[in-house]
Amino acid sequence: MTTDTQPLTKATIEFDDKTPRLFLIATVVWALVSMLVGVLVASQLNFWQANLNLEYLTFGRLRPLHTNAAIFAFVGNMMFAGIYYSTQRLCKTRTASDLLSKIHFWGWQGIIVSAAVTLPLGLTRGKEYAELIWPINIAVAVIWVVFAWNFFWTLAKRNEPSLYVALWFYIATIVTVAMLYIVNHLSLPTTITHSYPIFGGVQDALVQWWYGHNAVAFFLTTPILGIMYYFMPKAAERPVYSYRLSIVHFWSLVFIYIWAGPHHLLNTDLPKWLQMLGMFFSLMLWAPSWGGMLNGLLTLRGAWDKLRTDPVIKFFVVGITFYGMSTFEGPLLSIRAVNALSHYSDWTIGHVHSGTLGWNGFMAAGMIYWMAPRLWGTKLYSINLANIHFWLGLVGILLYVSSMWISGIMQGLMLNDIDESGTLLANPNFVETLQAIRPLMLTRVFGGALYLVGFLILAYNFFMTIKSGKPVDETREVALIDRKTSKTDKMTWGETWRADPVAYTFVALAFMCLWFFLPSGADVAALVCVVICGLLALQKFKRSEHGWSHWYDRLLENWMPFTILTFIAVAIGGAVQIIPAVTVNRADNVEDRLQIPYTPLELAGRDIYVSEGCYNCHSQMIRTMVPDVMRYGAYSRIGESIYDHPFQWGSKRTGPDLAREGGRRNDVWHYQHMMNPRELEPKSNMPAYPWLFEKETDMDALPRKIFVQRRLGVPYEPMTKHEITQGALEQATKIATGLIDEGVILPGENPPTVRAVKISELADKQIIALIAYLQKLGAHEVLDPRGPKSLGPFEVPDERRDEDEPAAIEAEPVAAR
Amino acid sequence: MPDNDQSNKSVEGGPVLRDHVYDGIQEYDQKLPNWWLASWYIFIVLFVVYWVLYYQFNFFPEDSERLEAAIAEIDTRKATELEKLMTSLDNDTLWEMSQNTQIVSAGEATFQSSCVACHGTDLSATLNGVKLPGEPLNDETWKYGGNPMDVFQIVKNGSPDATKGMVAWEPLLGPKKVAEVVAYIMSHHTKPQ
Repeated sequence: MTTDTQPLTKATIEFDDKTPRLFLIATVVWALVSMLVGVLVASQLNFWQANLNLEYLTFGRLRPLHTNAAIFAFVGNMMFAGIYYSTQRLCKTRTASDLLSKIHFWGWQGIIVSAAVTLPLGLTRGKEYAELIWPINIAVAVIWVVFAWNFFWTLAKRNEPSLYVALWFYIATIVTVAMLYIVNHLSLPTTITHSYPIFGGVQDALVQWWYGHNAVAFFLTTPILGIMYYFMPKAAERPVYSYRLSIVHFWSLVFIYIWAGPHHLLNTDLPKWLQMLGMFFSLMLWAPSWGGMLNGLLTLRGAWDKLRTDPVIKFFVVGITFYGMSTFEGPLLSIRAVNALSHYSDWTIGHVHSGTLGWNGFMAAGMIYWMAPRLWGTKLYSINLANIHFWLGLVGILLYVSSMWISGIMQGLMLNDIDESGTLLANPNFVETLQAIRPLMLTRVFGGALYLVGFLILAYNFFMTIKSGKPVDETREVALIDRKTSKTDKMTWGETWRADPVAYTFVALAFMCLWFFLPSGADVAALVCVVICGLLALQKFKRSEHGWSHWYDRLLENWMPFTILTFIAVAIGGAVQIIPAVTVNRADNVEDRLQIPYTPLELAGRDIYVSEGCYNCHSQMIRTMVPDVMRYGAYSRIGESIYDHPFQWGSKRTGPDLAREGGRRNDVWHYQHMMNPRELEPKSNMPAYPWLFEKETDMDALPRKIFVQRRLGVPYEPMTKHEITQGALEQATKIATGLIDEGVILPGENPPTVRAVKISELADKQIIALIAYLQKLGAHEVLDPRGPKSLGPFEVPDERRDEDEPAAIEAEPVAAR
Repeated sequence: MPDNDQSNKSVEGGPVLRDHVYDGIQEYDQKLPNWWLASWYIFIVLFVVYWVLYYQFNFFPEDSERLEAAIAEIDTRKATELEKLMTSLDNDTLWEMSQNTQIVSAGEATFQSSCVACHGTDLSATLNGVKLPGEPLNDETWKYGGNPMDVFQIVKNGSPDATKGMVAWEPLLGPKKVAEVVAYIMSHHTKPQ
């Protein structure tokens, strides 16, 4: 290596081990919190009363808290602990700035605490794993930049010229999470706590799942793979299985993962090319994922005996095995036919938990048991307790995952089942399918609780270990790199690209993107070019394998070109999928059906729907599948949610789909149902929402909201503030009048008795706005199918509407197809 | 642990062990497993083949076309079924059915699972004295007509304005069960002379 030729200057450095210590403590604390909330929300799915009839503890508000805590608080802190610990050692230098480390740690904990306060208050953006409100989003972005700055500064100061594979994964994590987080959180604020995402409908869906899927990829997978590459060979005291497997699986993983997002939107009206990319890139992702598993597990070759004695190895092996299991399951669930059964069901829930509890949780435990004695200069307090934790955790996660498999498959089969006549659903009543999976959901609570008990034992073991030792900051003598004479970090842009296989690969990728978009005929030509470039790259590689490996060795000694190449690899997939969707799938280009925008009151109701987290249990997306259409009505067209900021397609059906709920039931039904769902459906497990009957709709916020909606492109007529609030009040009064005349009972100890007073009391309440919204769901106008194709650039979009059919302009009654 | 131990050269006859050592971590340079590569290539080829079949040869029907064909077929079958039932169904037949205990108990079962939420277990549209959303079915007032066929039509198609009334039940229950439910309701009434 380059340092060999230089005279070595030695220096003694002290690592900053305080930061990993702090992050490690935070990991343990937040692990317990997130799992405790998890067990609580899981039990609410059987016993809604577990919310104690408090709005702050309802499933719709706590489930985002659970997911955010598990991802960003538990795994986030664990990742930071591992990264701060290993990066210093792999770079042979102390972390660049203690101040930035401190800001990072306390800033991150501040973000978590503010999330834990705002989410139960119903302050949310209504997008999964992206629920936090915009001021917190900015804080997250700032803290992430602090982290990135500190990390890359450390790389720039490193005394080890070559970047080890763990660092590759950390680099990919930092740049990709920044990209995903920023794009998916672009919003226009209406108040200090509320905003609308700038994307709507199908665009928002694509951006959201590009983010959501890759949060799994680059927050829960790549950093943990980096941690695996550092701690596994350390604990096993064995060399990593294969360097070239590291190279191949790293680059293929970061490149392919980004494309797989649309597999969350299969069998919908999403353009077919996106669905095909989502499905096939998921399938092509299987091998790169397993590359990581193989490198992890096979590192143990020759040290399998440690599996019996060393709890750290035990946890790592099970963690990596779960990684392999869930990365096999993921592609399986991405096959459209399988997804038709599994989507919206518990199978998906089981899948993500085998990732977070099986892979992340076990890796975290292994890392904690390895790091704690070293950071506090002592021995692990009890190996027996670690073993007990291991078995409790393993039995817990196996119970969890297997009950979710059975539950998901069973409910999926029941929901999709057609009776022997072939014309009717076998189980028309949704709640019957929920009844069937109740014992399985209970098994899940038990499995999750076992897992939590295991982590409680870890926490005890961890704090007893800390007590028995005292903080130790490791010092080490290292050879310094002389930046003036060394070739480290001196690679030029030309040198980066001058490697034939790399250049050919990028040209091949460019042709691949053309292949997706060029019209028939030209696309095949592009495909041929992809193949030719691929073969050329292979040929150059075969001819000069040495030259290429020399190039890669050089790349590893240069953090900046490496980071830029990584960014390009992760940026391509998102750009190809999102940019066309954002430019093409707009309201102007909608064919078939177009959403009718919400009135101000309905918009207020929609914000209540989002705030209560209804999307956690109810989808608004009828897929292009016979059973979905038979149960819920005509399949949802893209244009029918085009003005929805945020989109509310949902990802889980614990209750029925609501895409065409509007006009299906009467107002009294909704009123009574929100007051007490069991009055109308005795077996329902939906929580009651009595506070909606007491809290008032924030009408004064509406003018600002409508203003922002207009800025986002929702076609509202110009209205004055007075017209907006007055219009909302009029609509509310009309609904309230109808309800009072039907004889509904107002809550409260002394309900007013005069009809007019009753009406004005009721009209202000949130329940009225919510009913207005629910009754609007599915409202659309039908466009002339020939229209958009012949529409010239200067024609007024209104001309597309078929004016010979006035009925088509009305919202269709949606009860039947 | 050896720090940056540069002495490791390839192990004789075994896998290549790379020279460079990172914080005591060494790396073999094993070949990529063939089965692993094969599993990857298979999916890449599958992707290309499927894409070409789809876009060049229109080999697979569009989702919406496939779906609409399937739904149209179901609708035709339902229409035939309904037509068959309707030819034999009139007020008198429904009154007769309301005397048939077998039909009435089948209707009762459906009523108890799908209708009681709004109309009450005793058809009074109240629960413990509280008004439910539906119309009472045990009195002599009929909002949309009291002939069995009128009732049948309302249950089948839903009320004219669903925001103020009932959802259409025929799509969920099918015509036979609708007729049974009507028979059950009419069993609480007597045929006018």
